[in-house]
Amino acid sequence: MPEHGDLRDRFHGGVDQLRNDIARLGASVIELIPRVTEILLQQDLEGAEYVLQGDDEIDARSIQIEERALTMLALQAPMAGDLRQVAAVLKLAPEIERSADLCCNLCKAARRIYGHSLDPKLRGGIQRMSDQAHQEYKEAIEAYLANDAVRAAALRDMDDYLDDLHRQFIAQIFESHAAGTIDLQVAVQLAVVARFFERLGDHAVNISHRVIYISTGWLPQHDAAKRLLDRQDDAATVGDQGGS
Amino acid sequence: MAPLLAIVGAVLGFVAGWMFCRSRPTLAEGSLVPAAQPAQPVPSFADVLEDHPAGVVVCDASGAVRFRNAAARSLRGTHAGVLIDEAIERHLSEARRGIFSDEAIELYGPPKTVVMVEARPLPDGGAVGFVHDISEQRRVEQVRTDFVANLSHELKTPIGALSVLAETLEEETDPVTITRVVGRMMGEAERASRTIDDLMQLSRIELGGERGVEAVRVADVIRSAVGRVTEIAARRDIHISSLGSASVEQADDSIIVEGDRRQLVSAVGNLVENAVKYSEEGGLVEVRADRDGDWLEVAVVDQGVGIPQRDLRRIFERFYRVDPARSRGTGGTGLGLSIVHHVATNHGGEVTVSSVEGEGSTFTLRLPLLATTPVDPLTDQTPTEYTNRHVDRHIEGVA
Repeated sequence: MPEHGDLRDRFHGGVDQLRNDIARLGASVIELIPRVTEILLQQDLEGAEYVLQGDDEIDARSIQIEERALTMLALQAPMAGDLRQVAAVLKLAPEIERSADLCCNLCKAARRIYGHSLDPKLRGGIQRMSDQAHQEYKEAIEAYLANDAVRAAALRDMDDYLDDLHRQFIAQIFESHAAGTIDLQVAVQLAVVARFFERLGDHAVNISHRVIYISTGWLPQHDAAKRLLDRQDDAATVGDQGGS
Repeated sequence: MAPLLAIVGAVLGFVAGWMFCRSRPTLAEGSLVPAAQPAQPVPSFADVLEDHPAGVVVCDASGAVRFRNAAARSLRGTHAGVLIDEAIERHLSEARRGIFSDEAIELYGPPKTVVMVEARPLPDGGAVGFVHDISEQRRVEQVRTDFVANLSHELKTPIGALSVLAETLEEETDPVTITRVVGRMMGEAERASRTIDDLMQLSRIELGGERGVEAVRVADVIRSAVGRVTEIAARRDIHISSLGSASVEQADDSIIVEGDRRQLVSAVGNLVENAVKYSEEGGLVEVRADRDGDWLEVAVVDQGVGIPQRDLRRIFERFYRVDPARSRGTGGTGLGLSIVHHVATNHGGEVTVSSVEGEGSTFTLRLPLLATTPVDPLTDQTPTEYTNRHVDRHIEGVA
């Protein structure tokens, strides 16, 4: 019969392993972002194929992590901080898996615009969005690794910048299309590409929220819920006064 | 017989005893308890490994990591560290099963790096893993293969054209066509000779010979460099502002470097020429000279097509072209930036670039200043200790 200490060590070892696996999954997405951008800008169809095939592995790893986290919840019933760690894993695994899917979508977009050249301003815009999304993702995952809520809190501001870049890029698509350097089909594809980068940034922000949640138990949704409750209270008070 | 054996035995015994006595201090040294020289402790094996530039990770037979040196710990907390750790773990477990395994991992960075992860089994059932950065090695290999391919291409294209044009000429009788073909032949010959001239200039700079060392006013360098491209710039309505920060004119007398005037003009000239070539019509090219402590910074800024990120690290290589079709059209030899790079290195400085496609590029040439106070270049006064050191080094380099 194992001692209590042993059980606790084994449980914490398990949590560490889960965290480690999430970090690894996240790190592979950090690497994917610049890679798929290069594939897109170089129109590297072979590279695109390779990334698309590699997605199965990310899916498999993600589901394994989720299952292990569920098992841990069921068998060990962790509490407080430990519970939040395991619950965060359940949220983070699909978040990262979805980000990898966005990278795959970028590869598919690369296939669709194959053979069409992009003018330097569009290429520069794509590179800038990619750099920003990459930076955000890196920051979010490294904040998770360090359990650093302060670092994670910076993600929102970083993402505002990505949103600006997204808007500028959309304006550039209109400009390039008007100047005739790209046709409508490519213009639409590029708008979708911009959206993928913007979504990658959003996923990074979601990850950062979970990092804050692990340390503080707070999520931005809590504020929204409180606002809703306040409004309902106000309405009830006004209703009562009207009735009286 | 017996006395003889006794003597042999005694001799052997003596020798063995002497060796035993001799071997004791050696063992003591080996076991890192130096008795003779306490002032200089011999580092332990772990200490040596700790400071080794390659990452070293040792695990025991159960797979638990027992040792990790400084290099292997340095990436902790970063995503690169996470990915490399994952690879080490995988290879260590292979090695524990007795399989030698290795893998090159490409990390997009930035900066882009390639690391080699390998693992070897240890006699006690554990394993040792090594991580080395092989980015530079990979880059050099790539440069070497590309250089030969590009050189042959750069020389073969005009020569092939010459031979075809000569063939055309052989049967041609129409004087108009002959004039046209001869004109083109001259153009191709000129192109080949430009490439060879640049290559020779590059090799001269690389060897470091024939280099005059004198005090040079930076403002003069910029003026001559800009003068070389005014005509091309005017034709394409590109404005070159070399006085943007006003510092070039105002502070010109105090910004002095020492080096070879011709090489410096050639370096700045190449940068300005590139800026003009890759700018759109009506664009603006700025040349700024500023002081940064003991350094001079000449920045050449354009608002042209820019350079893709993946090419930024390679553009100073000989014959490296971002977009072969486009840049050959501009009439360059593909050696300009290489020349700039070597001039900078020769003068104890460096050249760097930053760029965003579609927004323009900034090339910065950093050179050590001769003096931070105004100096009359003719009398060569006030050589500080700092500049002396540089002059000495350059003279050594020339010798």
